[in-house]
Amino acid sequence: MAPKPTPNGNAAQPAEDAHSNLPAVVGINLGNAYASIAVYTKEGLAECIANENGERQIACAIAFHGEEIYVGNQALPQLIKNAHNTITGFRNLLGKKFSEIDQSTASSSSPIIQHPTESDTPAYKVDILQPAPSPLPTSATTTPAASHAPTPRSEPVPSTRILTPQEATTMFLASLLQSASDFLGKPILGAVITAPPSFTPAQKDALKKAAEDAGVRVLQLLDEASAVLATTTSPQWPHGGEDRTQLVVDVGASSLSLSVIALRAGLGHPIGSRTSSNTANIGGDALSSLLVKHFAKEFTKKTKTELPQPPSSKEDIRATTKLLLALEYTKRTSSASASPASLSVESLHSGVDFTATIARMRFDLLAAPVYTAVSSEIKSLLESISLDPHDIDEITYVGGTACLPGLDGHLLSSVGFNEEVQTAFSTSTMGSGAIGDPTGVLSIGCALQAALLLRVQEESPELIEAFEQTEQVETIARTIGMIFPGGADAHGLGGTYIPALYKYTPLPARRIHEVEVTLSGGEGDKATKFGFEVWEVEEGIKVEKAIPLKSDSQDDDEDEEDEEEEIKIKTTTKRGFLGAVLGETKGTAVKDKANKGAYTAVLQIEFTLGLDGSLHVEARSNGEKVGELEIQP
Amino acid sequence: MAIAGLPADYSPPASTSKLTPLAKGSLIAAGPAFLAHLHVTKLHDGDHKKYDHATAAARAAAAPLSNGVEDDLGVGEESEDEALLSLDPKEWKKQDQYRVLGLSHLRWRATPAQIKVAHRKKVLRHHPDKKASDKAETAVASALGLNINTNDDAFFKCIQKAHEVLTNSERRRQFDSVDPQFLEEIDDVPTEKEFKSKNPPPFLPSFAPIFERESRFSKTQPTPGLAVPTSADVPLRDRDPNDIEGHEFATLKAHVEAFYDFWYNFDSWRSFEWLDKEVNEGSDSRDDKRYTEKKNKSERARRKKEDIARVRGLVDLCLSVDPRIKHIKQHEKEMREAKKAGGANKGGAAGNAAAAAAAKKKEEEEAEKVRKAKEEEEKTEAKKAKAAAANAAKKARRAARAAEEGA
Repeated sequence: MAPKPTPNGNAAQPAEDAHSNLPAVVGINLGNAYASIAVYTKEGLAECIANENGERQIACAIAFHGEEIYVGNQALPQLIKNAHNTITGFRNLLGKKFSEIDQSTASSSSPIIQHPTESDTPAYKVDILQPAPSPLPTSATTTPAASHAPTPRSEPVPSTRILTPQEATTMFLASLLQSASDFLGKPILGAVITAPPSFTPAQKDALKKAAEDAGVRVLQLLDEASAVLATTTSPQWPHGGEDRTQLVVDVGASSLSLSVIALRAGLGHPIGSRTSSNTANIGGDALSSLLVKHFAKEFTKKTKTELPQPPSSKEDIRATTKLLLALEYTKRTSSASASPASLSVESLHSGVDFTATIARMRFDLLAAPVYTAVSSEIKSLLESISLDPHDIDEITYVGGTACLPGLDGHLLSSVGFNEEVQTAFSTSTMGSGAIGDPTGVLSIGCALQAALLLRVQEESPELIEAFEQTEQVETIARTIGMIFPGGADAHGLGGTYIPALYKYTPLPARRIHEVEVTLSGGEGDKATKFGFEVWEVEEGIKVEKAIPLKSDSQDDDEDEEDEEEEIKIKTTTKRGFLGAVLGETKGTAVKDKANKGAYTAVLQIEFTLGLDGSLHVEARSNGEKVGELEIQP
Repeated sequence: MAIAGLPADYSPPASTSKLTPLAKGSLIAAGPAFLAHLHVTKLHDGDHKKYDHATAAARAAAAPLSNGVEDDLGVGEESEDEALLSLDPKEWKKQDQYRVLGLSHLRWRATPAQIKVAHRKKVLRHHPDKKASDKAETAVASALGLNINTNDDAFFKCIQKAHEVLTNSERRRQFDSVDPQFLEEIDDVPTEKEFKSKNPPPFLPSFAPIFERESRFSKTQPTPGLAVPTSADVPLRDRDPNDIEGHEFATLKAHVEAFYDFWYNFDSWRSFEWLDKEVNEGSDSRDDKRYTEKKNKSERARRKKEDIARVRGLVDLCLSVDPRIKHIKQHEKEMREAKKAGGANKGGAAGNAAAAAAAKKKEEEEAEKVRKAKEEEEKTEAKKAKAAAANAAKKARRAARAAEEGA
């Protein structure tokens, strides 16, 4: 008898699952060598997260070993014993034809071959073991007669697998997405992925397709400079909203890209950029090879075992690969602490172990060619856009190699930035997943951008297209500032100078400055007048030669550097008088004794720059308009 | 530091110049500032004032949704009278759980978030630790011989019980099933007699709220309302009390049919576990326990049956006095006749008049028939009531006999 439904009802109802309002998005920085992911954590901040193996920097590598597939850092050790089944560096091959690929540089991983069936397509060929075929289904009727079918094999079958770079990317991205959704505990709604500016539209399409095959909606492909901008203008970043000129130094494994961006109230206007790849002494790989040379020599000296560089025999190549993998940790230790970094490899060559340490000083000395290459690139970029290094307010480092404090020190001293320049080192936002950590900046920017795009899609979908193209704007060509005649004169302009709208500010713009002024035009509470001039100014650099002061006690040291020291001073020159704002307002009496009898007022001075190029200046006191100026284009 | 004032002899430079010609540039498409830039340029013609206005409006619209620190999700404050504060926590099953948490204006509509907010508010006010801090004041009163129990956390216990009940979805449904306010409301149902009287109460305003409150027990949500849905949001009291005018016939018919179909097959989750008798804690007799459980089960089943019958009675009553049913029947008949008449003689005023006359006659007949049917129904109702009364009497007698025997 079927159970009857209970007549007195059932109080059980499906429970509603709790919705948290954090955006389920992921930002992926997909480099050629390493990748990182960022999501919104419970605190509501975008953060670079570690994957399930506890790695924040995930190596872009896939290794096939028998039935197993390793993705990420686990795949790297496979380069030693199973190199031809390990795939690395697939990102740069995305969307490229086989004939376009430069095969000259030998790689230690699986070789790139022509796809056997598709024309002009690169592919990797890896040996795998297919799982054993499942045993034959037993027949329904049990019969004593022996089956005619052969006994199925119980061992896995060796076979080969052909993978295109796109399929490899899909596999890799899928594992990243899995980590992100495991972290969040819910499916990912959308992703923003970095794509280098050198990518062609075909390559971008290939990347997009690979990501969509991995099962995520791609909200945008962001180039590195944009991802950096998204991070550095966010409230999480120290001084994120300020107007400043920023230099982005992205040191990748094999490439260096630099860009100078004028940040104006969170809007980024690129002033100049440069990408150099496959140049001598550029990037993390070059640094590694310098270090490998050093340690190979050290090894030979210590153990009398030859390890020639560049390697020729198979065993030498293996030893070099081992050394390279171990060096990865040495580099990280050297970035993180000032104490000597150690390197130890078990059975490096011919069964001989190798242990060594390297002090930071020695490390920086070895890395000097790489540092110099970066600094000379920066110098030539700044020269090409005729910008003085002194005008750079912030340097943002991106990439693992940029974590090295030696690089920062070298750049600051050799390029000639001013002393107040902000870097991740000076704001101490380096390391352990902090916002300024060069390894996480890109992915955090992508996550921020993904959350933003998700919101845009909900609120105003008509704007989403604008994120796909570069927005052309007009910017002001000169800085506009206020001069308060009679005030303390620090710049030699005949009054106190306050910059209002910096050069390169895109139209339309609005800035509000709060200024406390002393009123004049009478005694006591009769003083009601205030006034200021609006000028266009030009900023420059004045170089003064100054002989360093000699102190008697250090005579010996000073003897050698008798050279004149260059001191750079920022200068401001008036170029065009735009108008004056004169007005009256009621002030409040000053409390302190020195200025007894003076009256001051706090003015909010609003500069509005219209789309048509007209400038409107309005001074307000306690919400009341007390003076204005209109300048037509 | 304030900037020094203007010199007394200050006069601005005489000649002014124009702005330097603008430079061209591009923007990086990232970051919230870029979005704001797009808003200003694409949606507000580059006018910051318009943008300010729009964002202020958007923020104002979003403000009630975003639960800031101050937002209590509409829980509000409710007065606590003496009777409420002197509730006995031992009698927690009898207390109005919503009233205790100050949610009596929301009752079954209160969301889990609102319950949480309300509980927190009550706890902040009635926690025993809070009371202890008032001791100094009350000490004076007690010294004077006034009976103020400072350490009384009875109401706090009531709050905790109410919170316990309302945060467990199953127990909350059990309580909702026998919600005291609902029990009060269901007594207030118009009778058939009232509709029979000379000036019957308006149909829609008297029945719509009834079905509205019954619909909370439906397993399928949303439930069809009594009133035919309209595109415009007309309040109930402004609508035709018979709910016929202003609707297309087809939609009216479809809705009415769907409505009765739903309510005759009403699937309710209302249950009566809340009223179960407690098993006597003191006795560990298994038989005792089983007996009480059995009793409870049969009692629940009886109550459920009664409830089903009650809802069915309501629907029956509603159907019998629904003016829309009459309207539908009549309209359909007219259509049929018009069709017939149309087939018999095509055109002709005389024919039309005849048809109209016939229709009128039919209408009268129809009305007569309806009346007769109703009378019949009434008779059967009366019979049923009689039978029920007899039944009840029998039951009472049996109970009395049982009691006698027990004694």
